[in-house]
Amino acid sequence: MYGNLIDALPAVLSLGNLAAVVIGVIAGICVGALPGLSATMAISVLIPFTFGMDPLVALGMMAGIYNGAMYGGSIPAVLLRIPGTPAAVATSFDGYPMAQQGRGGYALQVAVVSSAIGGIVSALVLMLLAPPLAKVTLLFGPTEIFWVAVFGMSAIVFLLGGDVLKGLISAAFGVFVSLVGADTITGAERYTFGHLELLDGINIVVLLVGLYALPPAIGLLEEVRDFDTQNTGRLNTTSIWKAMPGMLRYWKTWVRSSVIGVFVGILPGAGGSMAAFLSYNEARRASRNPEEWGKGEPEGVAASETSNNADTAAALIPALTLGIPGTAVAAVMLGGLLIHGLQPGPMLFRDNPGIVFGFMWQFLFAAVLLIFLGGALATNSFAQVLRLPRPLLGAIIIALVFIGVYSINGRLFDVYLMLGFGLIGYFMDKLKFPLPPVVLGLILGGFAEQNLRLALRIGGGDWSILAASPTAKILIAMILLVVLAPLFSRWLRARKTSRAAA
Amino acid sequence: MLKTLDAVRDVSTQATRALAAIALATLALAASSLPAFAAFPDKPIEVVVGYSAGGGTDVLARVVGKYLERELGEDASVVVKNQPGAGGQIGFTRVATAKADGYTLGTFNLPAAMAMTYDRKAAYDVDSFDYLANVVHDPNTLVVGKQSPYHTLDDLIEAARAQPGSLSVALSALGGNDHFSALLLAAATDTQFNLIPFNGASMARTALLGGHVAVGTMALSQTIGFDDELRVLAVLDDKRSPFAPDVPTAKEQGYAIEMGSYRGFVAPKGLPDEIKTRLRAAFAALADNTALRDELAAQGNALDIRVGDDYRALAKVQSETAKALWQQHPWK
Repeated sequence: MYGNLIDALPAVLSLGNLAAVVIGVIAGICVGALPGLSATMAISVLIPFTFGMDPLVALGMMAGIYNGAMYGGSIPAVLLRIPGTPAAVATSFDGYPMAQQGRGGYALQVAVVSSAIGGIVSALVLMLLAPPLAKVTLLFGPTEIFWVAVFGMSAIVFLLGGDVLKGLISAAFGVFVSLVGADTITGAERYTFGHLELLDGINIVVLLVGLYALPPAIGLLEEVRDFDTQNTGRLNTTSIWKAMPGMLRYWKTWVRSSVIGVFVGILPGAGGSMAAFLSYNEARRASRNPEEWGKGEPEGVAASETSNNADTAAALIPALTLGIPGTAVAAVMLGGLLIHGLQPGPMLFRDNPGIVFGFMWQFLFAAVLLIFLGGALATNSFAQVLRLPRPLLGAIIIALVFIGVYSINGRLFDVYLMLGFGLIGYFMDKLKFPLPPVVLGLILGGFAEQNLRLALRIGGGDWSILAASPTAKILIAMILLVVLAPLFSRWLRARKTSRAAA
Repeated sequence: MLKTLDAVRDVSTQATRALAAIALATLALAASSLPAFAAFPDKPIEVVVGYSAGGGTDVLARVVGKYLERELGEDASVVVKNQPGAGGQIGFTRVATAKADGYTLGTFNLPAAMAMTYDRKAAYDVDSFDYLANVVHDPNTLVVGKQSPYHTLDDLIEAARAQPGSLSVALSALGGNDHFSALLLAAATDTQFNLIPFNGASMARTALLGGHVAVGTMALSQTIGFDDELRVLAVLDDKRSPFAPDVPTAKEQGYAIEMGSYRGFVAPKGLPDEIKTRLRAAFAALADNTALRDELAAQGNALDIRVGDDYRALAKVQSETAKALWQQHPWK
């Protein structure tokens, strides 16, 4: 199999195929950076054109777009606190405070280097370990996925913010949104009010854009006078090559977040945003100064960006070997393969090694290119956006968001829905309700609920099935460890101080 | 237009002139649209797909659209428009209510499109369409993992009868061909299964591969490429599939179950006759197109062209099957 890997290289290095990756990365960074536009959309637009293209040209562009967009999403997350993609929500936690402190340029550089590292690790894993990791994917049935979702919820504690009650209300709102739509297990329609458009549930982009992009855009219009432009407008960029050696101290975070990103990638049905949340939380837990997190800790940006890019190529492992469209992007990419008669599945690697392994190389190149294209070119040019007059910037964002949301399903209904979420987001912002728990509630709530019920249904209603498999037992042990360890250490500390007092 | 209105208000002679001009323009429009029938198509034909870009039906529509363009003449252009939502229902509804001028067609999935007219409120029924042609047929299968103790359909049924309702059967969703296959199997063998509706066919297949469920019912195309991991026990069709010539049908094993997915093209009811004939002829010509056959085969789809009334009859039968199953085993 590794022979095939080398054999696939010459075709990838041809001018046309390399150009496709370069164009893909640039396009990806742009759509990722524009709030409302996503990689899924860009690749969907590409699908009709891929008919006439050589498969590797089409796939190279897709690989480039996917990688580019995962980084691109961090640009508005850092500069404006508007995550360009769902996976960039966690990037904004520390990225935006950094921008406010006048370190936005450095935050973007950390983001691009971390993205590239996550992408490179992920591509290498895809190239070298896809078949064995596909076996790991198969260990995760509904029961095991349920426990992963529960594990993810341990992250919510930090994301709740200062006011626990408000945080919980936000999380509950997210879970509520996840309930909307036809229940896949019983077919019952929940909170659809007879609207066909709601039967498939609410697309996360609609919610995200409404909550995250509209309120700040309105804010830009409200305060015509400059607010903190003197800080955010100044990026203080030094050359990325000079900044890089200083970043080496994040190596532990890079390693940890890459592993988390790859792991979430191979889980059927998870996604980049879950990877980013989990790895942000783990990095914070491992940090020596967790109280600095959320106030502009570069390591937070590194954690989030490494893992959302580490998720990209890894998500293709279940997609290519098992045909699971784990994420919306992977689903569209599978369509791109199918158009060229490439059926995903174990036979794909045997029947079409040239294209499959070529595609993997392209992922690697796309990740490496991120440093050059993202770091050297895009970061600086996108930062200029901040020099635009604020009302103009707000208006542009609102226009983009309308286009983006409309194009998801080609209907106005979603735009109205987004406006509704925008209104909710606006008041949440003013009343100081935290937004991240909403996103986490939507992603993990739906994930946990559906898989718990599938597991119980398979077990015929017997709850013991939840702890039946070895994988489930390991996951339960991990959750107990994570939840109980802080309690235990606090108890130990309390005892020590009371002894000292005595 | 505003200027014309002003003219009407100001001078009566000018008004008559303007009115005459409008009337003439209308006539000219009508006249120009008459020969347009002969010149059909003189603008892009839109094919509404009720699923996202990149999905199986979307790819099918694009591939077939490419060949359809060639059959309709060099100027013809077929454009896919994705209108995903409600399991395809939004797209079906849009086609049913579109203008019947031949420029809006839609992909049509049986039996799913018909099941929706029973298990929920739908703005269309089996009579809302002009049936152009079915294009592919993908029979369902009963399938187990390679390590499964079941080697024939009888093994499976014996196990199910020993403990009714204990065998878990993975499906892609409720109210589709997978679900109906399982219901028909239970009825034909007089036993019960524990039906597990997953979120899509690939998730159901993955659960089967991982051994989290005992059995799966999925379209034959979903099993292709998994020869080393899955064992297909039966094809639910009246004859063996060229894609799996070694797999016996359920009928051969003594159970008369037939179920599968059909994907074709429909138009809103009331197409002008010339256009209907033209489109049906174009689809009929695709039946002998080996390039299309090969291209679809590479995607695991068997070409099965049934034009016009044959297709309508198929839809009626599928509709009745869905209705009967819904009445006997309402799933929600």
